Amino acid sequence: MTTLSLPSSAPLLRPRNRYVAGLLTWRGVTGLVLVGVVALAGLLAPWLTDADPDAQGAQALAGPSGAHPLGTDDIGRDLLSRILHGILTDLSIILTAVPAGALIGAALALLAATSRAADLVVQRLFDLVLSFPGLILGLAVTAILGPGRWPVVIIIALAEVPYFGRQLRAGVLVQREREYALAARVGGAGRARVLLRHVLPNAVDPLIVQGAVALSVGVFIEGALSFLGLGVRPPQPTLGSLISGSVAYLDTDPLLAAAPLAVTTALVLGFTLLAEALNRGARS
Amino acid sequence: MTELIDRPPLVEQPPSPTAELLRVRELHVSFGERAAVRGVDFALGAGESLGIVGESGSGKSTTALALLRMLPAGGRITGGSVELDGRDLAALPEEALRAVRGKRIAMIFQDPMSSLNPVLSVGRQLDEALRAHGERRPKAERASRAVELLELVGVPKAASRLGDFPHQFSGGQRQRIMIALALAHDAQVLVADEPTTALDPTVQRQILRLLARINRERGTALVVISHDLGVIAETCSRLLVMRDGEVVEQGATTLLLTAPRHSYTRTLLAAVPRLDAPSRAAANSTPGAEPLLVVRGLAKGYGPRRRRNAALESVDLELHPGETLGLVGESGSGKSTLARALVGAHAPDAGGISFAGQPLDGRRARREIQMVFQDPYASLNPRLTVGRIIAEPLIAHRVGDRAQRQARVAELLEQVGLEASAAARSPREFSGGQRQRIGIARALAPEPSVLVCDEPVSALDVSIQAQVIDLLARLQRELGLAVLFIAHDLAVVRQVSHRIAVLHRGRIVESGPADRVVTAPEHPYTAELLAAVPSLPTPTAGSLL
Repeated sequence: MTTLSLPSSAPLLRPRNRYVAGLLTWRGVTGLVLVGVVALAGLLAPWLTDADPDAQGAQALAGPSGAHPLGTDDIGRDLLSRILHGILTDLSIILTAVPAGALIGAALALLAATSRAADLVVQRLFDLVLSFPGLILGLAVTAILGPGRWPVVIIIALAEVPYFGRQLRAGVLVQREREYALAARVGGAGRARVLLRHVLPNAVDPLIVQGAVALSVGVFIEGALSFLGLGVRPPQPTLGSLISGSVAYLDTDPLLAAAPLAVTTALVLGFTLLAEALNRGARS
Repeated sequence: MTELIDRPPLVEQPPSPTAELLRVRELHVSFGERAAVRGVDFALGAGESLGIVGESGSGKSTTALALLRMLPAGGRITGGSVELDGRDLAALPEEALRAVRGKRIAMIFQDPMSSLNPVLSVGRQLDEALRAHGERRPKAERASRAVELLELVGVPKAASRLGDFPHQFSGGQRQRIMIALALAHDAQVLVADEPTTALDPTVQRQILRLLARINRERGTALVVISHDLGVIAETCSRLLVMRDGEVVEQGATTLLLTAPRHSYTRTLLAAVPRLDAPSRAAANSTPGAEPLLVVRGLAKGYGPRRRRNAALESVDLELHPGETLGLVGESGSGKSTLARALVGAHAPDAGGISFAGQPLDGRRARREIQMVFQDPYASLNPRLTVGRIIAEPLIAHRVGDRAQRQARVAELLEQVGLEASAAARSPREFSGGQRQRIGIARALAPEPSVLVCDEPVSALDVSIQAQVIDLLARLQRELGLAVLFIAHDLAVVRQVSHRIAVLHRGRIVESGPADRVVTAPEHPYTAELLAAVPSLPTPTAGSLL
């Protein structure tokens, strides 16, 4: 029997490496540094500051000093401590909400792939969610559940579901028409096996990018909800509630708004840069 | 501006062979570190025709694109020159080059479906081409010129079709429109990169004749790039054979095809299946008497119920064990629909399929009838290893445990001529021919008795084609497989088949022993198909040894 010689196994670019390569650009590195520094600051909050974020002090609206590096707020709470703990609250909210939204969206997209009727229902469901402006959606959910931490998680997850769902649905529609999907069916694989084993792994790549986008949108939504007083209940600090609380003192104590704003901006910018870097990596 | 239409044809006074219009000297093109073209040298006189032939990766298309310096990103001319009328295009600034493109050298591409802008009418696109290069002419004059161009390339009722959009034309007509666009400025050189690869043989013949006519009557020098020697033989007087970025041989087409000097040209010629060669199937296996697979009145349509497009009207077919049935037909004849219905991927609208005397049910079909696909790239899941790809049908049919499946995969890989160690690799590490072998191994995994091969070799180079055909023949001999061999290439089909069936508009119009169908067709459509096959001159005795 003649045996063909095989190509020598040259170092290959696996799809995962494309993302790693994307992260190793200036965008990726800047994004990682921004997100990393903010996240680390949040995680290390108990060690970085001794002040209790909720403890009220005698000095209200004090300027920066040795005891309060960023000063205090209108009822004398340490601003630095509140920001650091606020980061932790924000991160814990988006890191629950976004994966939940992604999972629900992906599950719905797979459901849509099973039949034309299911597709119709799921698609209209996505349309329904998308047709509400984000704020109205937020108001509706808090009207039912009241303000708090979990409603914020639910709102963010709900807002992200259609984006993840549509993205995956589009990928599935493309991939399942490819010949390898037909080959799998001809080989005897059932519909579920073709979908989960062959089509899905080839369609999930864009969701990685969508995930990074969703994280930045999550920070944004949390901020907006807290700003309107629909977010996490006080006194627990979040980045959004810190900004909202500072508005009354914008002309007298601008630092009160500037510090949490800077952190929020860094976080959103970091996630956006990461998304962009991953996206470019995937396309290269 | 000399008018293409008004200019007298050059038939009377053939250009002298010394009049060099295009001269390519020591052309080198690299993509990064990799040299794609290495020292290509040729000259083209006014009104001459030159064919460039080679297998994939030989650098033939890169050479064509380098003529206009339209190389894809990363590609760059690293040496040599392309002289048009003594002016070196390779050294020209981009702005000056723009004045040459389309005006002096024009190009037509492979895929007429995607080369025309779908949202602009054909008239608009012609008008745009006519307005390029800063020509100012009244609108009415441009319109009448557009009509002339369309008539020149043989689009019927040209005047009334200017307002039509590309999707309203057939593939062949779209390629004609592409040629009309290329001729808008009466270019001296027309470069055609695989101009008919995406077209059916009958349409291919029309386009090749059109190109030859333009070359003959208008004196436009022609460069045709193709992997198909038959196409070149029909259109070009001179031939250039490329391999690995180098020219291995060039000379007059008839001479090169009948008495090739270089060994590579000889192997290339020997690998081309010829329509006049008799079927080799009888020597390979003898079909059984009882039909294994019987198809009766199979019909299948697409689209909504009211405006249903019938892909298969009513197909009757019999396949015997150990037999190869060649199925030929043009695009849209229903070949692929039939293949998919047979393997159970589509439910037919009417009619029935019976296997070994019993109606076929889905589960059985998926085990007994397996399929080999056309595209060796798209048909293997890029996320799985070769071993997993081949084991998938075994897992689906719950055959054996993990160790047994692994052993079976190794056995299958050996059977198709690959090393067992290939199982751990990713499919993208393999060449097209090797990938097709992997696809065949996957099809053989559940031990089927019928193999449906949908254009299994049309995406492969001729030398690889021959290897895959040999492999299929050997597997048939060893395993007694019944093979339904679907292809558009009649020469290949005759070579491998015991019987040939001709599919036309969803019906089998003729079927019979392979040699008889080719030599004495009964149906006029079969005769038309046969006449459209580009023929190669027969090599003189001994030249192919």
